[in-house]
Amino acid sequence: MSQITSDIDVSEEQVSYPSVIIVRLGKLATSISRWVSWIAGAGVVAMLALTIADIIGIKLFKSPVPGAIEIVGFLGIVVTAFAIAYTYILRGHIRVEFFVTQLPLRWRAGINALVSLVGIVLFVLLAWQSYLYGHILQTTGEVSMTQRIPFYPFVYAIAFSCIPICLVLLLEFIQSALRVVQK
Amino acid sequence: MSPVAVGIIGIIILLFTFLLSMPVGFAMTFVGLIGFCYLVSPEAGLSLLARDVFTIFSSYSLTVIPMFILMGSLAFASGMSRRVYDTSYNIFGQLRGGLVMSTIAGCAGFAAICGSTSATAAAMGRVALPEMKRYHYDDSLATGSVAAAGSLGILIPPSTIFIVYGILTQQSIGKLFLSGVLPGLLLASLFILVVVFLCWRRPSLAPRGEETSWKNKMKGLAGILEMVVLFTLVMGGLFLGWFSPMQAGAVGAAGALLIGVVRRQLNWSGFTFAVTDTVKVTCQVIIIVTGAVIFGHFIAVTEIPLILADWVSGLPLPSMAIMGLIVLMYLIGGFFMDALAMITLTIPIIYPVVLTLGFDPIWFGVIVVLVTEMGVITPPVGINVYVIKGIAEDVPLETIFKGIFPFLGALIVAVVILIFFPQIATFLPDIAGP
Repeated sequence: MSQITSDIDVSEEQVSYPSVIIVRLGKLATSISRWVSWIAGAGVVAMLALTIADIIGIKLFKSPVPGAIEIVGFLGIVVTAFAIAYTYILRGHIRVEFFVTQLPLRWRAGINALVSLVGIVLFVLLAWQSYLYGHILQTTGEVSMTQRIPFYPFVYAIAFSCIPICLVLLLEFIQSALRVVQK
Repeated sequence: MSPVAVGIIGIIILLFTFLLSMPVGFAMTFVGLIGFCYLVSPEAGLSLLARDVFTIFSSYSLTVIPMFILMGSLAFASGMSRRVYDTSYNIFGQLRGGLVMSTIAGCAGFAAICGSTSATAAAMGRVALPEMKRYHYDDSLATGSVAAAGSLGILIPPSTIFIVYGILTQQSIGKLFLSGVLPGLLLASLFILVVVFLCWRRPSLAPRGEETSWKNKMKGLAGILEMVVLFTLVMGGLFLGWFSPMQAGAVGAAGALLIGVVRRQLNWSGFTFAVTDTVKVTCQVIIIVTGAVIFGHFIAVTEIPLILADWVSGLPLPSMAIMGLIVLMYLIGGFFMDALAMITLTIPIIYPVVLTLGFDPIWFGVIVVLVTEMGVITPPVGINVYVIKGIAEDVPLETIFKGIFPFLGALIVAVVILIFFPQIATFLPDIAGP
C-alpha cells in the first residue's frame, strides 16, 4: 500500500516564517480534514454493511433492504467528498511530479503557490455552485425515487466538504508564497 | 475561434497544468470547466460543475470501486498475501530463480483479489524481497521482478482500470474482468519464462532455494484455498448473475474481513488501515473520473473526437497500423503519466476512433491495460518502481529500473500476441454470452 507522507508543515520550526497564524491554520486544516475523513471511513463501512444486508435479504428472505441502492449512492458522496482534503494532505491525489522536482526550490515554491491558488478557486466555485444547486433542490423538494430521501442535504455536504480542502490549499499557498519571497 | 481550436488549446493547457504538478483530477475539472464556460456559457459551465460532481459522487456504478479496493486492502491486512507467497514458494522455491517465480505466481494470485498494481507490488514486495535478499538474489532481478509482476494487479480481475474503462466506455465490467483472465495468465507465464532465460544465461543471479517435499507442496496448497474460494465466489457470482459488480466487491470485502477475523490475523489497527487506505484510493480514483467526465463534456462540445474519428478512418493506412500508433501513443504517454490519468484523459478522445476502425472494445480494453502496465514500471514516472524503492530502500532506483527491462520485453511480446490473437482476450467474454 502506498507510503503515507504529510506535506503540510504544522510545527513552528518547519514554517519558513514562524507565525502563530500559520501554525494554527495548519493544525485546524489537518484536524478538520482528519475528522471528516473518519466520516468517509464510516461511509465505506456502512456501504459494505448495507450491501451485505441487502444481499442476505434478497437471497435468503426474498426481501431486499428498502432503498439500498439509493442509500449506497448517497454514501458514495460521503466517502469521496469527505476524503478530498485528507487525501490531499497525504499527497494521495495523482500528479505528475517528475518535471517540477528538477526545478530549483524557489521555482517549485512559486509553482506550488500558483497550483494551490487555482485549487482554491476551483473549490470555492464548487462550494458556491453546490450551495446554489442544493438550494434549488431544497426549494423544489426533489427526492429520491423509492425512499423519497431529499437530495439537498447531500449537495450541501459537497459544498461543506470544500471547506477543509480550501483550508489545506490556503495553508499550502501561504507557505509556498512565503518560500518564494524568503531570501 | 473555432471550437476545435479551443479544444486543442484546452488540451495543451491541461498538459501544461500536469507539468506544473497540479493534481490530475483537479486540473481536468478546472480546464474542462473553463473551456465549457467559454464555448457554451459561464452559467451553463458553473451549473454543470455542481451537477456533474453530485451525479458522479452519488453514482451507484462507481461504488464498485471502494468495495474492490477494500477487498484488496483487507486481504493484505489479513495476511493473505503472505500465504499466497508461501504456497508459490513451496511449488517453485527449489528451482533456480525459484523465489522470483514464486513472487510472480504470488502476484498473479494476489491480483485475483486485488485490483491495483501498486497495492499488489507493495503487498508481495514486503513478503518476497526480504526472502530474496536472504538467499542473495541479484538486487536488480529481485526488485525489477516484483515491480513488473505487481502490474498484473490491473490485468487479472478485479481491476480498478477495467472498472474505470468500463464506466467511461459503457462496457460491461463483468466482461472486461473476464477478458483479463487469459492475458493475465499468459503474461505471468511470459514473466516466468523471462526468469528461466535470465537464470539460464547467468546462474549467479539467483541461487536455488530449499527443496520442498511433495507432501509439503500439497499441504502448502491449503494456504491458497481461501483465496481460491473467495475469487471463485466473487467472480463466479458476478458472471453467473448472482451479484452486480458492486455487490460482488462487497462480498469479496466481507469475505476477506471474515477470513482475517476467523484466522485471527486482522486486528483493529489492520482494519482501520484497510479502511483508511480504501478511502484514500477511492477518493483518488473518483476525483480523476470526475475530472475526466467534466473535461469529456468540454471535449464533446469541441467535437474533436468525432472529427478525429472521421479523419483517422479516412487515412490511407490499414487499421492495424493506426492501432499500432495508438499503442505507441499510450506507451510514450505512460512514461510520463499515471495509468489512470492517462486512460481517463485519452479514452473520451480515442474511443470513438477505435469503434470507427471496427475494433472490439473489450479487446481494446485489454490492450490499453497491457500498455499502461508498461507505464507503471518505466521511468521516469513508473509508480511500481517507487513503491518497491520504498520497501527496498538500500537498492538504488536505477538498479530497479534496470531490472524491469527484461519484463518490459515480455509485456511488449504480450501486446504483440494479443494483437495477432485477439481471441485470447475475447474468448471468455464471448462464451459468457450477453
